[in-house]
Amino acid sequence: MFKVLKKLAGKKRNKRPVGSEDTLASQASTKDQSISYQIEDNIKQVKKIFHYPDNKDIKLRECKIGASEKRVAIFFISTITDVRTIEDSAIGPILKNKHPDATIKEMIATQNITHLSTMRDVVQNMNTGNAVIFIEGETSAYAFECANFQGRSVEKAENEVVIKGPKEAFTEKVVVNLSLIRKRIKNEDLMAETVTISTRSKNEVFILYIRNLANEKLVDNIKNRLKNLDVDAIQNLSLLEQYIEERPFSMFPSVLYSERPDRATSFLEDGHIILLMDNSPDSLILPATFWSFFHTSDDHYLRFIFGNFARFIRAGAMFITIFISAIFIAVTTYHSEMIPADLLLAIAGSREKVPFPVFFEILLMEIAFELIREAGLRVPNPMGPTIGIVGALILGQAAVEANIISPIVIIVVALSGLTSFTISDVSLNFALRIIRFIFIFSAGLFGIFGMTSFFVMGIFYLTSLKSFGVPFLAPMSPHYVASGDTIFRRVLKNENLRPGYLKPKDMKKKSDEAVK
Amino acid sequence: MKQNNLIKLIFLIPFILILTGCWDLKGLDRQVFVIGIGLDVSDEKGKIDITYLIANPEVGTSFAGGGTEEDTVMTVTMRSPDFLSLRHSVNAAVAREISYDLLKVIVVSEELAKDEEFIRFLYSAEKDREIKRNTYLIVTKEKAAEFLSKNDPKFLTRPHKFYENMIQRGIEVGFIPNSELHHFFRVTEEDANLFLATYATTNIRQKEDEYRINEMDALAGDVRIEGETNSANFLGAAVFLEGMMIGTLTGVENRIVMLLHDASSITDILAPIPDPFHEDYELTVRIRKQHNTSVEMNVHDMPPKIHVTLPLTVDVLTDPSMENPVDNKKKVEKLRSTMEEFMETKIMALVEKSQKEFKAEPFGWSLYARKEFKTLKDYMEFDWMRTYPEMKIDVDVEIRFGQFGRQPKTPSYKGIRD
Repeated sequence: MFKVLKKLAGKKRNKRPVGSEDTLASQASTKDQSISYQIEDNIKQVKKIFHYPDNKDIKLRECKIGASEKRVAIFFISTITDVRTIEDSAIGPILKNKHPDATIKEMIATQNITHLSTMRDVVQNMNTGNAVIFIEGETSAYAFECANFQGRSVEKAENEVVIKGPKEAFTEKVVVNLSLIRKRIKNEDLMAETVTISTRSKNEVFILYIRNLANEKLVDNIKNRLKNLDVDAIQNLSLLEQYIEERPFSMFPSVLYSERPDRATSFLEDGHIILLMDNSPDSLILPATFWSFFHTSDDHYLRFIFGNFARFIRAGAMFITIFISAIFIAVTTYHSEMIPADLLLAIAGSREKVPFPVFFEILLMEIAFELIREAGLRVPNPMGPTIGIVGALILGQAAVEANIISPIVIIVVALSGLTSFTISDVSLNFALRIIRFIFIFSAGLFGIFGMTSFFVMGIFYLTSLKSFGVPFLAPMSPHYVASGDTIFRRVLKNENLRPGYLKPKDMKKKSDEAVK
Repeated sequence: MKQNNLIKLIFLIPFILILTGCWDLKGLDRQVFVIGIGLDVSDEKGKIDITYLIANPEVGTSFAGGGTEEDTVMTVTMRSPDFLSLRHSVNAAVAREISYDLLKVIVVSEELAKDEEFIRFLYSAEKDREIKRNTYLIVTKEKAAEFLSKNDPKFLTRPHKFYENMIQRGIEVGFIPNSELHHFFRVTEEDANLFLATYATTNIRQKEDEYRINEMDALAGDVRIEGETNSANFLGAAVFLEGMMIGTLTGVENRIVMLLHDASSITDILAPIPDPFHEDYELTVRIRKQHNTSVEMNVHDMPPKIHVTLPLTVDVLTDPSMENPVDNKKKVEKLRSTMEEFMETKIMALVEKSQKEFKAEPFGWSLYARKEFKTLKDYMEFDWMRTYPEMKIDVDVEIRFGQFGRQPKTPSYKGIRD
């Protein structure tokens, strides 16, 4: 079934937008020129490429070197540069220069100056926030770094909250994100390679891995996949995730998405690969297994027993959120002999005055719950609390009092909704919520029998899934040598192996008992 | 073309599910729950009068949207050859489908239980898929229909709760036997023992000279209980031999059976016994059975002999004569010997009753006898049922004293009164 869907998806993806090549090609031809001896030509050329002065934030500052009186032109894009740096380190020293023989490198006081020989380099440097200097009578230009893209500062993680441990989260600036990771891994083997993945917007992706740990084949595989993309623009990682995943129609995610630098770092140290990108306050971690979606950083930050208790609760919650509504339907419509007498009579009693069958009742409430959830997410901030109150009122009390919904159904749906929040990963959360509906349907049609067969089918599917060559349920099934961090975790000292399914170059990450 | 077919197939799969599903879908609000089934003799041969005790699910629930003032239960009686076909016949008077999911008790009137035909009707319970084997069998003095409609429990408004709690507590304290249907079929088919069923009645005697003096050595209905309480008594056992009721055991006799029978789950018994130091008073003792009964058997003698040793732990909880037996070894010995003697006579009286009146035993001793034979054939030839009435049986009670109350020593009566 998925092959067919894949084919359909593949067809759509390969279609190219019509007419894009013409403009891109013409853009390329103007950039291929070399830098002229005549400064007038160069200025005219850059002005033409950047459509100066129609493009309002393209700035040109022309002046003369203080001593030699040579003409100088400085080009930069004011919105993405630090103008103060240009003034203090370039324009100032040039104007005040007193030695006629001084070269430009001797005059400018920035951390580095790059020598540019083609127009293509000039354009690229300007687009990335650098300033470019043309000098009268020279066939090369100079660029110095003064990029200053606007963005948030480092803030608290909002979606992956922890009680104990670091609170900072990735921001939209990739430099900051990289710095957050470098802060945690002070090692020259931490590689941060870049690949440009889009042709028009020139979006860059940072591929992070630890050179003598990560499996080379895996790194090459991911690099190839990124290089083979032929897209005009990919704004951020959430979009990139959908370009590189293997099964776009799969219910389960195959790439982990985390906004916590500490989490990304711990995956890096295990031999995983991290993708970072500008405009993405998060990281992509690959390959990902089912367990990585199920875990949180708190599990390891809390002590052994507490962490495992949290895991136990979460595992229970996961089953409750999938099954409770379905079990309620199955048991009340097909297997009433399973319910204890008092509960059976209570349920039967509460159903006396209610118009709909259990199946519709549950479905109605589950949909209502999803509505509140979606509405609550999209509602503008000042109205948020109102939605909550209205939702709780309508769904809870009013529905029961109007004899539309039996009160036990409210308990069941509230429980299944509440427990769904324990899974913090957005993708898995969505998957579970959709699966819950499928279970509700199978329970409504076949009772426990239907649920069991669908569950078995689901397990078959889960075991067949792979994320970048790694089985989805590894290291549990199939079994791999690893530190056994699946449903429960071990004592930290005993987690001394890297996951075997990544085939890392160094399996052992600490000596036995972690003590010399 | 091939791909098109595949897509069509995918769209067909949901239809398969929808067309085939929902076979035994049964909404809870489309059923009524039978808590008890009553069986009575009818004057037509091959048929019995069957009563359903149906619970009202709305009673006892307090939901928003208004409660109900409806009755707790309703009873329906119809004549039917068995209680399977009745499930549909009764729909002439009951609006919904009959469900046996909550069936707790099968009530049989003494009259029907003593009928030879009874076994024919009860065995249909083994056939029905929905009747659970842990349903209790109750024998009532009056007609089962009368029992079910007259029984009006206080506090426990939900009928299943009443039967469940009443029977379970009765078994725990030993006043009534564990009479699950499963045991009935097992014992009946084993053809060596007596089956004991719970004995109950709402027909309680009101006149003073009609009830017994010793409180628990009586059958249900014979005990004087005053006050505003439940209208039904559960006490004593109906004795079944080969699927037919042949007599009764009192509450105390039932306790003795349960003490001797290793398979019963009785844990402790609070009971009064005569005080050896003062004939006017009774001591209350807690009898606990911490070790299994030892049964020694000599089946090859004529008549065969059985020697039973019953080890009991006894806590003496009261001392109305204020003699302080703890203090004095002689007094303890006296207490022990009189107590053992008292119990042995009680037990022997019951054993004799079983040999002479019932001609079979309810103690489960036939199991010990099987061990004495090399083959099953030998055992069959021995014919336990026929041999039992002639056997020489003696019972030895061995008492070990436990505690003598929270405060073992009390001041002497004379010391206080002087």
